[in-house]
Amino acid sequence: MKKKHFFSMLVFLFMISAVLAGCGGKSASNSGGSSSQGKGNAAQELTYATTSDVVGLSPILTNDSVSAAVINQIYETLFVRDPKTMEIVPHLAESYETPDDKTWVIKLKKGIKFHDGTDFNAEAVKYTFDKLRDPKTAAPRASLLEPVESVEVKDDYTVVIKTKYPYGPMLAALCHTNAAIVSPTADQKQDLMKQPVGTGPFKFVEWVPGDHITLEKNEQYWQGAPKLNKVTIKVVPEVTTAISMLQTGDVQFIDNVPAEQLSRLQSMKNVDLIKKEGTPVYYLGFNMKKAPMNELAFRQAVSYAINKEEYVKQLKGLGIQSNSVIGPKVFGYNEASENVAYSYDPEKAKQLIKENGYKGVKVKMLVANTANYMKMAEVVQAQLKEAGINAEIESMEWGTFLDAVKQGKYDLTFLGWANSTADGSELLYPNFHSDNVGTSNRIFYSNPAFDKLVEESRTNIDPEVRKQKLKEANEFLLKDAAVVVMNHGVVTAAVDKSVKGLEIDPTGQWSLYHVYRE
Amino acid sequence: MAGLIVRRFFQLILLLIGISFLVFTSMYIAPGDPAAIIAGPTATKSDIDAIREDLGLNDPFLVQYVRYISGVLHGDLGYSYQTKQPVWEAIMTRFPNTLNLAIASIMVAVIIGVVAGIISAIRQNSWLDVSSTVFALAGISIPNFWLGTVLILIFAVNLQILPVGGLDHPFYTVEGMKQLILPAITLGTGSAAMIARMSRSSMLEVIRADFIRTARAKGLKERTVIWVHALRNAMIPVITVIGLNFGFLLGGTIITEQVFAINGVGRLMVQAIAARDFPMVQGSVLLVATLFVLVNLIVDIIYVFIDPRISYD
Repeated sequence: MKKKHFFSMLVFLFMISAVLAGCGGKSASNSGGSSSQGKGNAAQELTYATTSDVVGLSPILTNDSVSAAVINQIYETLFVRDPKTMEIVPHLAESYETPDDKTWVIKLKKGIKFHDGTDFNAEAVKYTFDKLRDPKTAAPRASLLEPVESVEVKDDYTVVIKTKYPYGPMLAALCHTNAAIVSPTADQKQDLMKQPVGTGPFKFVEWVPGDHITLEKNEQYWQGAPKLNKVTIKVVPEVTTAISMLQTGDVQFIDNVPAEQLSRLQSMKNVDLIKKEGTPVYYLGFNMKKAPMNELAFRQAVSYAINKEEYVKQLKGLGIQSNSVIGPKVFGYNEASENVAYSYDPEKAKQLIKENGYKGVKVKMLVANTANYMKMAEVVQAQLKEAGINAEIESMEWGTFLDAVKQGKYDLTFLGWANSTADGSELLYPNFHSDNVGTSNRIFYSNPAFDKLVEESRTNIDPEVRKQKLKEANEFLLKDAAVVVMNHGVVTAAVDKSVKGLEIDPTGQWSLYHVYRE
Repeated sequence: MAGLIVRRFFQLILLLIGISFLVFTSMYIAPGDPAAIIAGPTATKSDIDAIREDLGLNDPFLVQYVRYISGVLHGDLGYSYQTKQPVWEAIMTRFPNTLNLAIASIMVAVIIGVVAGIISAIRQNSWLDVSSTVFALAGISIPNFWLGTVLILIFAVNLQILPVGGLDHPFYTVEGMKQLILPAITLGTGSAAMIARMSRSSMLEVIRADFIRTARAKGLKERTVIWVHALRNAMIPVITVIGLNFGFLLGGTIITEQVFAINGVGRLMVQAIAARDFPMVQGSVLLVATLFVLVNLIVDIIYVFIDPRISYD
């Protein structure tokens, strides 16, 4: 009898959980508010959930967005972009001048110390930049300072950077996470990938690879100590789990919210959603080495056939529609360029297809199997079909995708660029200049006239001249229908209501310096 | 017995060399360049070339393999391409989590599976048997990611009696046990179902055997007949299934680790494959293979204790 009783209990429990599972979805969205109240409001601590771990914590040796997010709390750059105006302002630098167009004399702020107690000075800047440029370092983003010929120490707080040619995006490059200044003493003593030492508002405490990183407030921070005492960066690979943790108050901050999770987040009473127009751009690229993609009429037909507005609508507010390759938040954007592109016009598309005999042509659309690219591909496939072009989707995992694209095994593909320098030259040069065909120029675009415009935008240090050249280069691409801009990105974050003062940069980066909880 | 262990040990070494060659070859010919992935999307050709040279990826295949395998034979699993961390260290920080999860899950599986299997065997064709069969079918068919997510929504988000995820407390603490409950149930259900099916069929066979009739005829209590005489004889195939399942669980339980944010070997392997981090993939596969062989060896040894008729000499 006892056994029977026990088993009945088991069956009963199983049925209960099945019933609960049935109503789980509905009730889950109602319970949000209560949880965070129970968990220490007063404690100035914050946990941020990321779907992947950092690669390492040295700005010199990493080039991925998660590492950059943590590095930005520990290290600092000479210049920063004001997240509101996108203007470049001195940060660790005090001021700069350019006696000639190949020389940058940068004066540094005094009295700043690294977390190990050593002084931040011109030597540290020289050490950092020389190490980044040294081929022996094999830095993933050594190219950032490729135009630099030498870095010299003029006195303790003045560095002189000489470039091989006039380099327009110099200051934008110096704002980049990969150009953050490291403590030379610490770098010689320890592995900065595991034990980072910078000048930033937070100091490194520990890293349990794959699990979490802990940072603590830097009491001696030169702008005054931050309000948060402790920051934990927790690896939560599954975004739905991270959102559950946000709901229960186990984490207080996530970013890069996927569109399909928006409604769940919006229904959670203890969560604020932050959205901001960003610098990333996503585009459809043509394989310019192959016919008919290398024919202007075909590219025009595809451009006319794609209804970008329709696609952006499906992003539920997480995308900005703009025809310009250089987006509204990127240096070099000009509103006048919007009208240069071939906007949606199905009649013109059909006409071009008919005139040029593209009717029924089959193309292979190679797609990386992440949600956003898959959605782009499906929308575009349907729209092209309507116009009379048969696109076949082939999706693959990111590493394999990069390889296939590099080998040109595609007709159409979808690509993106984060624009972390927010400078138009640093978008057009890597993506479309013939120097980079086969690496970052994944569509094999090669046009001497375009190359010349991009070079002029890079090798001039007058911002006005640069803007003009970027406008011309941008419009050149649009007229040539080299790409179809699908959307510009919106950077997002979801935070617990107790979190105040968080500002996300249009590049998707953020600083926790002004953040506090109440 | 000693002979068996020695034989298995040599087999293991040969097996590992074979596996390492297979994995190395498949990673080598698989598309995707580790240097390009490390360098990131914004890297130029010179950035990528410098990294490839630094990692020794320009050397011929055999040179790379021999360099790797001689390292392994000297106890050096190499360094991660991506994080530069020693592979052994990276695996060992995660293995305790995988081990805890595997043990907890197999406990859930054995308790539910064996009990359900026996009860449905001795009450064959009753409603208990039918519901146990339904449970087994559901356990095998429900995908882990769904079950895990639903359990989180019910017990962590709604009822708030268990944590959503993570495994950062030792398993013997109350916090640690709480963190293990949901993942162990998620993971154990599938194995429980398999064990239940096997226990049931094996038990059905045994309770019809002559010696059971003899035991009953001798007037033994039904409880003694079932739990002492029948169970022990029905256990051999069940233990095989438990061993196999435990071996699989130790191999890292990718989806459960992913859903519950558990920093385990399975997740490490998936990340390493995505990043084409060859040394890390190799190291984790070798570990998993070794464990699998060891678990099977232990199962073979347990047979001897359960059934004295089995001997390896």
